[in-house]
Amino acid sequence: MYSLPVTRRRMLAVFVAAAGAVLALLLLWRPARLARLTSRLFKPRLDTAAPTGSLSESEMDTILAFAAVLVEGRELSAEERGYLVEHVSERAAQTPGYLALYRRTAAVLDGLAAGPFRSRPLLERTSLVTRHGLTRYDVRIREYLTPVRREILAVRALAVPDLIGGYYSSPAGWATVGYGAFPGRCGELSRYTKAEA
Amino acid sequence: MSAPAPEETRETTVCIVGAGAAGGIMALELARRGIRVTVLESGPRHDFTRRSDYTRRFIKGENPWQSPLPGLDRHTTSGDVEYRLEWNRARGVGGSTLHWEGYALRFHADDFRMRSLHGTAEDWPISYDDLEPYYGRAERALGVAGTSDDPWASPRSTAFPLPAFPMSFSDGLFTDACRRLGIGLHHLPQARNSIAYGGRMQCRACGTCHVCPTGAKASTDLTHIPQAESTGYADVLTEVTVLRLEADRGGLVRSAVYAGADRRERRLTARVFVVAAGGVETARLLLLSASPDFPNGIANRSGLVGRYFTSHPLIDVTGRVAARVYPYRTGFSTAMSNQFAARRDRKNRGAFYLEFMNSAGPLPHQIAASSGAWGPELAKRVREEFGRTLGIRVYTEQLPDTGNSVTLDGTVKDYFGNPVPRLTYGIGPYERSAIAEAQEVAEGILRALGAKDIRTGAVWYASHQLGTHRMGRAPTSSVVDQNLRAHDVPNLYLVGGGCFVTASASQPTLTIAALAIRAAEHIAEVLRGA
Repeated sequence: MYSLPVTRRRMLAVFVAAAGAVLALLLLWRPARLARLTSRLFKPRLDTAAPTGSLSESEMDTILAFAAVLVEGRELSAEERGYLVEHVSERAAQTPGYLALYRRTAAVLDGLAAGPFRSRPLLERTSLVTRHGLTRYDVRIREYLTPVRREILAVRALAVPDLIGGYYSSPAGWATVGYGAFPGRCGELSRYTKAEA
Repeated sequence: MSAPAPEETRETTVCIVGAGAAGGIMALELARRGIRVTVLESGPRHDFTRRSDYTRRFIKGENPWQSPLPGLDRHTTSGDVEYRLEWNRARGVGGSTLHWEGYALRFHADDFRMRSLHGTAEDWPISYDDLEPYYGRAERALGVAGTSDDPWASPRSTAFPLPAFPMSFSDGLFTDACRRLGIGLHHLPQARNSIAYGGRMQCRACGTCHVCPTGAKASTDLTHIPQAESTGYADVLTEVTVLRLEADRGGLVRSAVYAGADRRERRLTARVFVVAAGGVETARLLLLSASPDFPNGIANRSGLVGRYFTSHPLIDVTGRVAARVYPYRTGFSTAMSNQFAARRDRKNRGAFYLEFMNSAGPLPHQIAASSGAWGPELAKRVREEFGRTLGIRVYTEQLPDTGNSVTLDGTVKDYFGNPVPRLTYGIGPYERSAIAEAQEVAEGILRALGAKDIRTGAVWYASHQLGTHRMGRAPTSSVVDQNLRAHDVPNLYLVGGGCFVTASASQPTLTIAALAIRAAEHIAEVLRGA
């Protein structure tokens, strides 16, 4: 009978492999509690201890250049950019963690572009963003366990949904559905009685 | 903040605790009769010119009407249903009228006679006929828009002061479906200006009625308190919280002890005291005012203060339709059905009414966030998905139950170190039967409209806190009499939804207003007699 000598190194390898197999099985099985636990433990989250403040002009431009790809897939008008500036500035100034998140996002984008992301034409920006999967903001739970590219994961899980939410809750989002007046912007009273033109 | 005078003790004729629906109305009713009134309000006087900022905060998911003092709104919950107060009350001059929906429904005559007609709960010590003239006065004071097209409404002696809001585009769809099903649909009366009224502008459909940016929705900070103050007989002290009421050996309340942010105690003495702080805080204040003569709390010899805490359980039923229905162009609904709210057997199953919602379904940003799409596809998805959901909200009647209560929780303290209220709340078979029937009716209407993906949301509850100092003839089974005077304390009046004997399915504010006007009239007579 043939047997391998038992060493500490081999035992550790067996243990890691067994733990990995169990985890993989559980993930494939997707029990809700495990999913919640994984999400709670590994999901990128805002650093709520980080200070609030303002993005620099170049950082903001980078974020806007990124948002244009995400929210419309075209260059935004000055008005539309204005809504996003308002949203991102308010987040950075009022909610701890967002300043750091958007700074990191701008840095990640510049890193991917190997230079200022904001200076790239729309097509090139779109290509970069899709190539690195930044448009996949519906992050799968198993992706939270990935130890690499955590910065990109944070952009996908936190920055992208916030930019999309901020844009579509602004007047630009209401304009998409054809509304000039909406909750928060008053209008002509009788408008609600008929179909929109 | 209106700073109190330097002296520790003030004097007035009538002290009113709370400047909300009931307190604001009473202040005006008494002051216009030349009676000196001082109102103590725990919240601030919200600056009307900052409403646009409040609107922005509301849209971002904040409640701008909460107390600025940390811990003042703290509370605990127990029971089957967790009744939270964060979004369900407002502090400040105007009280709950700052954030109410503005629906101004009268109760039905049947609602006052549940024991006589259905053999359940209790009858009120007053009838619809007793209250009817006061309903009319309340409607004029608040500016209620409506029309008499509700076939289930109890008789009214006066017309609505304002024309009804026209039916909405989606109401037209609901009307056709309801007609086919034999369900009556009619206008929803509301204290909101369909035309300019009372010095306030016509509604401009801003869509954020929780914070009305124009003042078109009636709230007592706009409709009553300024008028009361302009008589020269009413003062409003803001950002002062009443900590307890002090009684003398003769069993009369002599002073209200109150404090501001500095926690320094001051006193207001008066001949008459009115507590109008909402169903939770009124009960809590009475319980906090225990003394050797009132060991269980003032006005609580019956042991019923805080008992029978009641609200309106509600559900939303939604369905997706093929055509666009253009939601979110108003913040309020314009059509309802009272067909199931009156003239039916209510022994084992509650009444309910249907509100045909003008705004239901996901907002553009919610569609965007859940789509997983990006770029041109995202914009296309938002355009295609938006505005294809119809919704019906159902408010159901809840029977009073001693198991539901507001008590003191000594384990948690508020800003002033006082025990916070503990809300124990649940719903029973009576309410669940009504909800089941209502769900069936609402789903039937949506099916008749060809809706798919019909869903019923979880049961939740309205921002109505009722029954905690109920009205009645007998001191053993109620806290206040038909004039809202405490049975145990002749110079103490408890006004607001807490005095309701039963809840009806209707929204409570107009009934609170009518009862407040009636109680003010009584107090004025008593003071005149004295």
